Amino acid sequence: MIERPHGAQHAFELSIPSEFGYEKVAREAVAAFARKLGFDRERVEDLKTALGEACINAIEHGNQRGSGLRIDVCCLVEGDALTVEVQDQGLQRFQGCGAPASIDTKLLGAAPLRGMGLMLIRELVDESGFVDSPQGGNRFRLRIIRRVAAAHASA
Amino acid sequence: MMLEDELHVSVRQRDGVAVIDLVGDVTTFAEERITNAYNQVTTEGAKQILLNFRQNDYINSAGIAILIGVVTEVNRHSQRLAISGLSQHFQKIFRMVGLAQYAEIYQDEDEAVRGLAVAATA
Repeated sequence: MIERPHGAQHAFELSIPSEFGYEKVAREAVAAFARKLGFDRERVEDLKTALGEACINAIEHGNQRGSGLRIDVCCLVEGDALTVEVQDQGLQRFQGCGAPASIDTKLLGAAPLRGMGLMLIRELVDESGFVDSPQGGNRFRLRIIRRVAAAHASA
Repeated sequence: MMLEDELHVSVRQRDGVAVIDLVGDVTTFAEERITNAYNQVTTEGAKQILLNFRQNDYINSAGIAILIGVVTEVNRHSQRLAISGLSQHFQKIFRMVGLAQYAEIYQDEDEAVRGLAVAATA
């Protein structure tokens, strides 16, 4: 379980098998929760895509597609922000990566076709990145903030 | 238990365009089906190809990588590629990763077929 920052409500957590396909289960569960919190449709879609990529990274890189491993997904609510943390068991620790290759570079065969996940996450959510994981493994945090509708804001 | 995504891929012809219908999730599991469909239409001589997306709730970066692989082959074979049927969200994603530079993105199949016809006569 992740530590709860002061003022944050620990909403829920789920544990999924570290296998491709189960990230979709996590996406759907967290998306349903985000909708309940009042996030609009496009923000929920952004969150689903970002969370799916974070889970895939955890399955493929952190857990090295090892059998019998798990991915933990925890949600925290703090005011208008929803924070989601993805924890793997860390067979491989994240060592950092360079700038993502452009599609032109990929089409020239000078970079792998894959490797767009972190870039997509960064573009889609308000904050993202790896954070300390005292119990080992990699912990990736993403955060979206609910935007107040213009009509309400001006009321 | 392995949860393989459901993706149905089929091929048809419409007004000189080879239409590849992609119904369902486009993820790492999709590679063989999409590649086979592309190879089939290319073997049949397609010069204009439309990837027609339908009911695609989940397209991830592994799926996008497969599509970039298709673009590589399209360029190699001097074909023209268009994409239709994507939700607004996935249109945004395709623009983020640069796919829109290499494949024209249309709202729906009718618009895409008309667009490819105009491009073919230009």
